[in-house]
Amino acid sequence: MLKLVDIFGYLSVLLRAGTLVGQSFLLGGVLFLFWIARPSKEVSADALGRVQSSTLRMFRIAAIGLVIVQLLYLYVNSAVLMATAEIGLRDVVGANFFLAGSVMLAASLLAALIAGSQGRYVPHCLSLLVVIVLAASVMTNHAAARVDGRAWLIFLTVLHEASTGFWIGGLPFLLLGLYVAGDRPTQWYLTQRFSRLALVSVAVLVLSGVGMSLAYVGSWHSLVGTSYGVMLIAKAAMLAAMLALGGINFLMLRKYSPTDVVPRLRRLVEAEVGIGITIVLAAASLTSQPPAVDLVNDTVGPSHIWARFKPELPRLRSPEASALSTRLPGQVVSPLDPSRQVIAYTSEGAPLSLRTLNDRKWSEYNHHWMGLIVIAMGILAVLARTGHAKWAENWPLLMIGIAIFIFLRGDPECWPLGPKSFWTTWADPEIFQHRAAALLCLAFAVFELRVRRNPSQGRILPLIFPLLCAVGAALLLTHSHGNANLREEALTELSHTPMAVLGVIAGWSRWLELRLPPEDRTIPSWIWPLCFVVIGAGLLNYREI
Amino acid sequence: MRRNVPAPGIFLLLAILITGISQPLWAHAILMQSKPAANSTVKGPDLPIWLKFNVRVDGSRSRLQLNGPDGSAVSLEATKQTAPNILESRATGLKAGAYKLHWQVLASDGHISRGEVDFTVN
Repeated sequence: MLKLVDIFGYLSVLLRAGTLVGQSFLLGGVLFLFWIARPSKEVSADALGRVQSSTLRMFRIAAIGLVIVQLLYLYVNSAVLMATAEIGLRDVVGANFFLAGSVMLAASLLAALIAGSQGRYVPHCLSLLVVIVLAASVMTNHAAARVDGRAWLIFLTVLHEASTGFWIGGLPFLLLGLYVAGDRPTQWYLTQRFSRLALVSVAVLVLSGVGMSLAYVGSWHSLVGTSYGVMLIAKAAMLAAMLALGGINFLMLRKYSPTDVVPRLRRLVEAEVGIGITIVLAAASLTSQPPAVDLVNDTVGPSHIWARFKPELPRLRSPEASALSTRLPGQVVSPLDPSRQVIAYTSEGAPLSLRTLNDRKWSEYNHHWMGLIVIAMGILAVLARTGHAKWAENWPLLMIGIAIFIFLRGDPECWPLGPKSFWTTWADPEIFQHRAAALLCLAFAVFELRVRRNPSQGRILPLIFPLLCAVGAALLLTHSHGNANLREEALTELSHTPMAVLGVIAGWSRWLELRLPPEDRTIPSWIWPLCFVVIGAGLLNYREI
Repeated sequence: MRRNVPAPGIFLLLAILITGISQPLWAHAILMQSKPAANSTVKGPDLPIWLKFNVRVDGSRSRLQLNGPDGSAVSLEATKQTAPNILESRATGLKAGAYKLHWQVLASDGHISRGEVDFTVN
């Protein structure tokens, strides 16, 4: 039963992310429909009609998506509560989460139904329903559970989530509008109106975010010394990347003609949508973590951070597989092996026996070699970018090395390094996932190599690599690393989160390199290889001891 | 926990892999203070229990369980909440030995969290 709570914890982040994305789409959609795409004499009624119809369709899809997410949320949370607290459904029904979830479910279901109908009051009804969705969402946010300053925090959360919806949730509708409008005046009209609205939304988003950060983080010390604070920094970094793209759009709109701007704008908005959704995912992860201000005794200090991250020579010698704790199946080895002899401590003071120390050395060795491979990938990609080293285009071959590395060292208890046979271990989900990842690496190496050798492989296939890069990095950003010790968790976040953010930036810069007109590809084409190099350097300095 | 495979090594595929591997800790509600305090020694046989959390908790949907030195497990009834972030109960007839108080709370925002408090009765 206790395991259920852990599994639900992970699932709840995904469902929370789905809720935030869904509600942002509804907020952005309703504003786009009734404000941005309002009829005007400046543009053709036909074009605007097409935009409004497509907006309504996407709004309905988002509403149906939110209905599904809420159904899952109510089902899973109720089932876990009933099983672990041994209570009946009747007792669950009165819980705050159940009421809020039910209200959101009903409101989004009604919104989906009404969006498909015609009528004078449709805009008013949809607007009201979206406000109800927002209110219900806020009631399952940190603010609703705070003991002090609750009303003020709820107010800030409403502003923050509403402005997120209007801006980030509105971007997909702008993108869709630009595609379906069909004529430049309409595209220009939509873009200009959205740009003005985005300015206001960003201002509200940042101000309310700063206000909430002051309440939930409280100090600089907590900002860098807790998982919550680190995730907040990551969110701010991605917001800065998004603002940079938004800033380029803003300047283009004011300097160039519609014919020059619109093709570039669409590509930049695609990347903005991707980064924006990643920010929402990070926000979902934040709502599942205790606010930094509450971690009075679990904040990592600067001296601990320095002790863990001070540059050291990489570990390029590995312990023997036979010296790891995995060679003692069925025995309790954490934190001590059966010898009970402490021979070292982590920087956080956790005791390590010989075998657990070897486990960590094994892991560091893996990270450091992987760092070298990723740096090599980045450098080769940079060389290929210069145009003077055609052979460097073969850098995806290094991913085959990664695949072999994962296969050999990911599961040291299995063949060929360990006593467990190759075929009998497929049923272990962890081992299965390692092997699946190795196979995927292999497939991607072959696939990306083909794309590089023959760039005319179609328009869609080359986009899969950057897309998966961005999605994978976003998932890395939102998952917990499973440390029972909150200080260790913060240190792990400090090492992983910057790499995940760089992964997001690498993915979307490669996307832009592929999507922008050829004359605008220079900057993004340099960004992603450099991100690879920095990620590799981060891996090279990864520590567990 | 195993972290043999470098997490962000290729950050695109392995991230998906690792999200499945990790055993996450989702400690949303945190125990800020307790009586008896963690790792303390208290007098028996009757003992008031008082838990203070960082967030509002739903007392009627939260659970307390006391594991005794003989391996027995007893569910404790929470009394009416005196504050939105406080859970209270009372354990009676405790013999000398090491006890573990397991708590599971439903926070007002819908998150379920759990933890434990070790103490000794003399």
